[in-house]
Amino acid sequence: MHERLSFYVHRDSPLHRLNPLTKLTMVFAFILLSFGSPWYWTPHILIVLVILPLSFIGRVQREYLLTAARLIFPAAGFLFLMQSLFQPIGQTVWFRWWVLEVTHEAVAFAFVNAARIIVMVSSFTLLLLTTHPSELMSDLTRRGLPSQFAYVIISTLQIIPQMQAKAQTIIAAQRSRGLDTQSSFVKRVGALVPLVGPLVFGSLVEVEERAIAIEARGFTSSHAKTSLREIPDSRFDQILRGALIVSVLLAFVSRLWLS
Amino acid sequence: MAIVTLQNVTYKYPLTEAPVLQNVNLQVNEGEFVAVIGPNGAGKSTLCYTLAGFVPHFFKGELTGIVEVAGVETHQSSLNEWVLNVGLAFQNPFNQISGAKYTVFEEIAFGLENIGVPRGEMKPRVEKALALTGISDLADRSPYSLSGGQQQRVALTSILVMEPKVLVLDEPTSQMDPIGTREVFGVIRTMAERGMTVVLAEHKVEWIAAFADRVVALKDGQVLLDGKPGEVLTSPLLEEAGFGISRYTSTARKAKEMGLWKKDQLPVTLEEAVEGFRS
Amino acid sequence: MLDKIKKDFNTMTWVLIPVAIAINVVMGEIVVQLKLPVYLDSIGTVLVGALCGPWAGALTGTLSNIIWGLAIDPNAFPWWPVAFFIGYMSGRMANWGFFKSWWKVVVTGFVVALTAAIVSTPISVYLYGGITASGSSFITAYLLQTGQGILSAVLSTGFLVEPVDKITTSMLAFAIVQGLSTRFLARFPRPENVSTEKGGKTELFIAVAVVVVLVLFAAFMLRNILGG
Ligand SMILES: Nc1ncnc2c1ncn2[C@@H]1O[C@H](COP(=O)(O)OP(=O)(O)OP(=O)(O)O)[C@@H](O)[C@H]1O
Ligand SMILES: [Mg+2]
Repeated sequence: MHERLSFYVHRDSPLHRLNPLTKLTMVFAFILLSFGSPWYWTPHILIVLVILPLSFIGRVQREYLLTAARLIFPAAGFLFLMQSLFQPIGQTVWFRWWVLEVTHEAVAFAFVNAARIIVMVSSFTLLLLTTHPSELMSDLTRRGLPSQFAYVIISTLQIIPQMQAKAQTIIAAQRSRGLDTQSSFVKRVGALVPLVGPLVFGSLVEVEERAIAIEARGFTSSHAKTSLREIPDSRFDQILRGALIVSVLLAFVSRLWLS
Repeated sequence: MAIVTLQNVTYKYPLTEAPVLQNVNLQVNEGEFVAVIGPNGAGKSTLCYTLAGFVPHFFKGELTGIVEVAGVETHQSSLNEWVLNVGLAFQNPFNQISGAKYTVFEEIAFGLENIGVPRGEMKPRVEKALALTGISDLADRSPYSLSGGQQQRVALTSILVMEPKVLVLDEPTSQMDPIGTREVFGVIRTMAERGMTVVLAEHKVEWIAAFADRVVALKDGQVLLDGKPGEVLTSPLLEEAGFGISRYTSTARKAKEMGLWKKDQLPVTLEEAVEGFRS
Repeated sequence: MLDKIKKDFNTMTWVLIPVAIAINVVMGEIVVQLKLPVYLDSIGTVLVGALCGPWAGALTGTLSNIIWGLAIDPNAFPWWPVAFFIGYMSGRMANWGFFKSWWKVVVTGFVVALTAAIVSTPISVYLYGGITASGSSFITAYLLQTGQGILSAVLSTGFLVEPVDKITTSMLAFAIVQGLSTRFLARFPRPENVSTEKGGKTELFIAVAVVVVLVLFAAFMLRNILGG
């Protein structure tokens, strides 16, 4: 969990070299395609023929597959099971068990939904594995995103691991005094109290001085901001973005057409 | 020529009764290095915030009198213009890390990005500032991975790089060892010699004696003394008013009563004490 | 309108939001670790809503949800509109003066819960056909088996599950505000939202009693539904 907030893997690959906005466009295009395309197998095809190869092109296949195995597939699998078992649609009953009815339609629905979740999270994961957060934020700021958003995102990514570490220290201390998940309900609720003190109040009172510090460094300056990082945006990037947008439009138009 | 002028400045924080600054008058000349001393709660930090524009723009409250820096009056200005002239670094280094950057180099460039310095200019300025405060070797580290003393240097560098006309520092060496403190005071001295005006709130009187041009002693929000370090820091008024004073001064004062200290002038630093006892 | 919103985003707001998101994420994780029957993953969102207004609350909620989805549970992703409205509604309620005393905070929690239930219903129905990856879907599944329509089944589940969590969340956020000094709170855009009215102890007891009753009610309903 701790290492997971700095997803970025520093390597050189064609995917790393793409402009961040291109990669972001790609993410949204994949998501929209998987939800909007009229063809049932779109998300599945995207996973096997696009996302998986992209992880190799980006030389992050190891990290991607690990995340997929640990996080993405379990989550999608769980969703698939829930929906196959409980979805009350369909007539073609495959089998009955207790009060549950598993129908062909429910399974088909669950299968496409799970794939959509996989597309959604996988494409984000690939983006984050191959794009440094500062790079993404600098590029978006340059294109007009208010710089305060960049501040919020990057600051959050840095604060969370710090707070998690603090919380784990406090919990470990309480464990050594006999708290565990088998403890009584009251005891477990009681465990929250000492956490709120140092953790929540501690991090809140820092807010004032940090606000002063960044104001002193021109955070609210009315000048147009500049950026230390130079982020290339090639002709290829621009064409790729155009192509992605067109493909999404085509998918939606054909959906309307067919319905 | 005075670049900083405070005239009859009185200030009350919001929701409080008693003023924290009372009738403060202060003039600082361009390129001067002025130290502000005072017991806890004397109002040193409040004075720093006033010079840096955070009083009244950030803290609100009630400010009367005139606060003028580089010919602009604080009420006539806004914080984001004010900070272009006056830089502020303060005590707790951890809270001064912006959080928006992953490396020390980027952290120091943060202010320059905000005020729109072109990229080509940015890099050399950051490199120069890093070299000045002696942290070039930390450039690629995460600001969060540093020691308190190193973080204080980063905080100072982040402000220096913006090249303010007036540099306001509130106990900027609280987490440094004597070697670090000496180096940082050296840097501040250099900046003053290059024409930057420096106002420094500080407890470490021996260092002030060695480096500052002038000392202002603050007590209960009022200016008690204002003058040359040798005079102010050895004044008998200080000890009575509960200031922390140099142990060399107090030793020499005792010695003087016993007739062992011959000079008129009492020492503040070890060097002065040694020299005085020798003669 | 836009100027009003801008006023709510001062530097204190921008610095508070990351801390609030971190509080959401870390508290949410701890609650899972301690196996408590609530989420408590929007305390920070409600806090920002109260101190900085609805839009700041909405932004905090949305970003929290995205980060939660990326780092902890991918299934959280599609629910960002719910987080958006939790933040928005808590800010609205606070603007209307409902973040000043314990009983008012309970009302806020309740309204936020209803909002969450209503906003999550279309997502649940259209995206997931009513059955999501959350544990509460067992209730929905049961209601569906009893022949209820999908919309009413999902909505009832929401009304059953949300109040306990959102009222507890709002009360914790209020407790945090109580623990902060007025001089600190004064830096935020809307300190008047949280300037406490007196009422004190008895009110706190009433508020806690309401939560206990709600918990018991929910437990009772659950037993009836699942056991019946
Ligand atoms: N935000 C605030 N609101 C109200 N009162 C404040 C605020 N900040 C400081 N004070 C009060 O103002 C007085 C002066 O505080 P200040 O921090 O300026 O003193 P100081 O000389 O810097 O002390 P120290 O040596 O402890 O740093 C103190 O009595 C303090 O309680
Ligand atoms: Mg101070």
